[in-house]
Amino acid sequence: MITRVNPGLKKDLVEFGLQDWNDCFHCGNCTALCPLTRNDNLFPRKGIRLAQMGLSEKLATNVDPWLCYYCGECSDSCPRGAQPGELMMVLRRWLTATYDWTGLSRKFYTRKSWEFSAIGIIAAVIIAIFVFLLPPANDLASNPEAYLNDQGGVMINSMVTGIDSEHFMDYIHTGDLIMALIIAGFLISNILNMFLKVIINDKTVRIPFRSYFTEFWRLIFNFGTQARFSKCDNKSYWVGHLLLMTGYTILFTMIVAFLPKFQIEEITPWYNWQRILGYYATFGLMYFLIYTTIGRIRKSDQKMRFSHPSDWIFIVLLGLTTISGILVHIFRLTGLPAMTYYTYVIHLAILVPMILIEVPFSKWSHLAYRPFAIYFDHLKKAARKKAAKVQFAAA
Amino acid sequence: MTEKERIGIIFCDPPGGHERVDLTELIYFARDKLKIPVIIEQSRYLFSDYRVLVETIVHHKLSKVVLSGVNPDRFLNITRTAMLESGYAARSVVIADFGDGYEALKSDLGGLKNSVEQVIANLRAEKKTFQTLNPDTIVIGGGIAGIQASLEIAKAGLKVHLVEKSGTIGGHMAMFDKTFPTLDCAACILTPKMVEVGQNPNIDLLTYAEIVSVSGDPGNYIVTVNKKARMVDLDTCIGCGTCSEKCPAKVTSEFDTGTTLRKAIYMPFPQAVPNKYLIDAENCRFVQEEKCGVCVKVCPVENCINFDEKDELIEIPVGHIILATGFKVFDATKAAQYGYGEIPNVLTSLEFERLINAGGPTGGFIVSRTQDKKGNWIFKEGSPEPKKIGIIHCVGSRDENFNTHCSKVCCMYSLKLAHLVKEKLPDAEVYEYYIDMRAFGKGYEEFYNRIKEEGINIIRGRTAQVTQSNGEILMRSENIIEACIEEQLVDMVVLSVGLEPGNENKQMAEMLGIELDQNGWFKESHSAYLPVDTQSPGIRIAGVCQGPKDIPDTVAQASAAAAGVIQNILSGRVFSSSTQSPHKTKLETVS
Repeated sequence: MITRVNPGLKKDLVEFGLQDWNDCFHCGNCTALCPLTRNDNLFPRKGIRLAQMGLSEKLATNVDPWLCYYCGECSDSCPRGAQPGELMMVLRRWLTATYDWTGLSRKFYTRKSWEFSAIGIIAAVIIAIFVFLLPPANDLASNPEAYLNDQGGVMINSMVTGIDSEHFMDYIHTGDLIMALIIAGFLISNILNMFLKVIINDKTVRIPFRSYFTEFWRLIFNFGTQARFSKCDNKSYWVGHLLLMTGYTILFTMIVAFLPKFQIEEITPWYNWQRILGYYATFGLMYFLIYTTIGRIRKSDQKMRFSHPSDWIFIVLLGLTTISGILVHIFRLTGLPAMTYYTYVIHLAILVPMILIEVPFSKWSHLAYRPFAIYFDHLKKAARKKAAKVQFAAA
Repeated sequence: MTEKERIGIIFCDPPGGHERVDLTELIYFARDKLKIPVIIEQSRYLFSDYRVLVETIVHHKLSKVVLSGVNPDRFLNITRTAMLESGYAARSVVIADFGDGYEALKSDLGGLKNSVEQVIANLRAEKKTFQTLNPDTIVIGGGIAGIQASLEIAKAGLKVHLVEKSGTIGGHMAMFDKTFPTLDCAACILTPKMVEVGQNPNIDLLTYAEIVSVSGDPGNYIVTVNKKARMVDLDTCIGCGTCSEKCPAKVTSEFDTGTTLRKAIYMPFPQAVPNKYLIDAENCRFVQEEKCGVCVKVCPVENCINFDEKDELIEIPVGHIILATGFKVFDATKAAQYGYGEIPNVLTSLEFERLINAGGPTGGFIVSRTQDKKGNWIFKEGSPEPKKIGIIHCVGSRDENFNTHCSKVCCMYSLKLAHLVKEKLPDAEVYEYYIDMRAFGKGYEEFYNRIKEEGINIIRGRTAQVTQSNGEILMRSENIIEACIEEQLVDMVVLSVGLEPGNENKQMAEMLGIELDQNGWFKESHSAYLPVDTQSPGIRIAGVCQGPKDIPDTVAQASAAAAGVIQNILSGRVFSSSTQSPHKTKLETVS
């Protein structure tokens, strides 16, 4: 087997936020301390070693960075201050870019100008659609009473001109579906690329066909519960992350699948399921946002000491989306149709670029890569188990 | 000395690049009005070569030097050193400066003129002539370094004051069982030297005493020592131990690192020098509450125990100071991941050293700590022997969270401890976890190979955590060579704690006017060829207080420090070796 060394790997990783790796003297303290590491997946030290030796092909086959949830204990207790936890984070960014066949992810991670331009262009497109195709009704500001329903709330689907109320909702719903299809297309193709790199390119294992099905539950289970995260010593990280993940998933599903159920003219009572779920999701997002923003500014927590631009862009976009969403809701309830319209446009102009860029190409792609990494890892484990059995039987 | 005093004045040139200042008026003033015999008006050549400076001082027989001109304080240190080397006191260099600096000086010489006049008048008014070098030496610290340095100087026929803060000399080495790599018994090497110190008439031994202040110049220091109240008369105590037997107050023994108890009136260990008892005032019931005094009643010698004795300040005039203050061991409770202080059978290496020592708590039997009736965890002869022992290297060393330096001795003493375990408990399993094996000395690598062959498991990988698990102790590490997680259950864990600079180093450095390095050890003039010299030519350092080192290196350094001191005393001048040039250039005249 040929092992190729990539001498440019360090330079490459520096672009993804690597501080320094020369500090490591390979004592293994980080690995021994990690509550998640197992003999099959020794990290973080093994990752440092592979990176130091420039073995980028082996790194691309290795799913270990996705199995780490960055509790920061390894960095805290590292006798050399080598930040092994941060290296895992850098490798996750690098892997995201490696799995992405379009090359956009690498550009977004390494060039701020690319990321900002992309966000700006998509936002501009959204605003242009509203300005030219869906402008506000002429008397929206001068005669707000005409747009209020019996309960005094804004009739949200009537606030644009040119089309009737049902069609406006349909346009938005169709747009949501198109957005979902685009990101699904990119994500699925990237995951296939990941499968190629992690499973197919790894010639040391042969996956038994059955295990693709028998191990599949792990993918769903880990996506839904983030159970692995709960094994870290600090459980509060897991709780915060679970709130974010469930909140985000609920909102995303509601927007894509159930928009006709809640973007309606009437104001539903607060105890309706749409509103309860929406409030829960908003709470989850806000909790996470406040916790993370304070943490990243204070840098008191090892996990949040180093902030790559992509970390901040993620927080800012999500924060603005959440706040504008809350404002739309408030203006709608208090009967301010013009304000509702403008915040609605701003909400979409932030939300759409965030989802289109962050989910397939940047930080948010981990929502798919993490459970898939666990799935692939168990496929490999099953393969090794079978190989060992065969060997044992032969002996 | 009876030689007539000669004053010289050196006018310093401005720093390079600056225009010269016309000092002609001042020079005429100094020559004609002040009648100064030697006036040097061009200093550039003088200070560019240290030898020229010394030769100038010797040639003109200058006993006092006044530095004046532009920013003369630049040359104060080099001139002082040169004066010392020429046989004069450092304080014979005086600065006559005018505070307003270079620009003011160019326009007006009046201020500087007044200043020079004042300084010269003060110098002439001083009755005292320069002092001769004091041939006595003080050695601070009575460990192996202090003992060795004292003996070297004393054997040369010179007087030494050896100051030790505890009740006995011996230091850390007295606590060790064996020395690596030869496995000699530490006490067998040390105790004869200790006895020699006690018997040598040239050594004035001051135990239970601490340095309070130091004043004076190299060659002539006054050291103030606080002789703490021992309350037992050193001359009359016969060391019978009756007092200690009857004393009711029990406290943990410092010498046995807390593994045994001692009385409030005690001898630190049986081979202590001086072999006399002392009273620990803090724990003595009579001193604290005036309720006891049984020791006075049972003492067979009259007036030997005296509770009225107070701390006493004494001033010792000396010419040189040798610092041999040693180290303190790393406080293992700081490394919380190893559970020291919470898990009873996690010990520091120094505690384990006492445990395997025949003079230790169990008479040399390795046993686990067990609970007594009161619930205290103690070592008791007859307790179960540990079957598996883990040793963790680099505890508190090479760690950014604690000390970044390598303590140098831990690898070797850990190997030695592993060997001693195997020697006493052949069936016990020993697991050693290390980061890098630093077997740096002569015969050390061979020693390491020998230990490996003795069936000791030596594993590369730093232990990350030590936890209790069902009465056993669980050590978790990564085995770097085998690439796997090692979870090892053991009965006892030994933490190879590193060496740290002593708490009083900072205060001591300020007192003596010498520097500390970034880790807090005393700084040597040059790490390669002046390892025992400091910035001050009268002060030398020896042993671990300069940086972690093993016993052979400590002894070698102590002898080296003593050699420098003896050289100075015999030549009658205080040399700073850093300024001695190998080739002596003879210069006839300097203008």
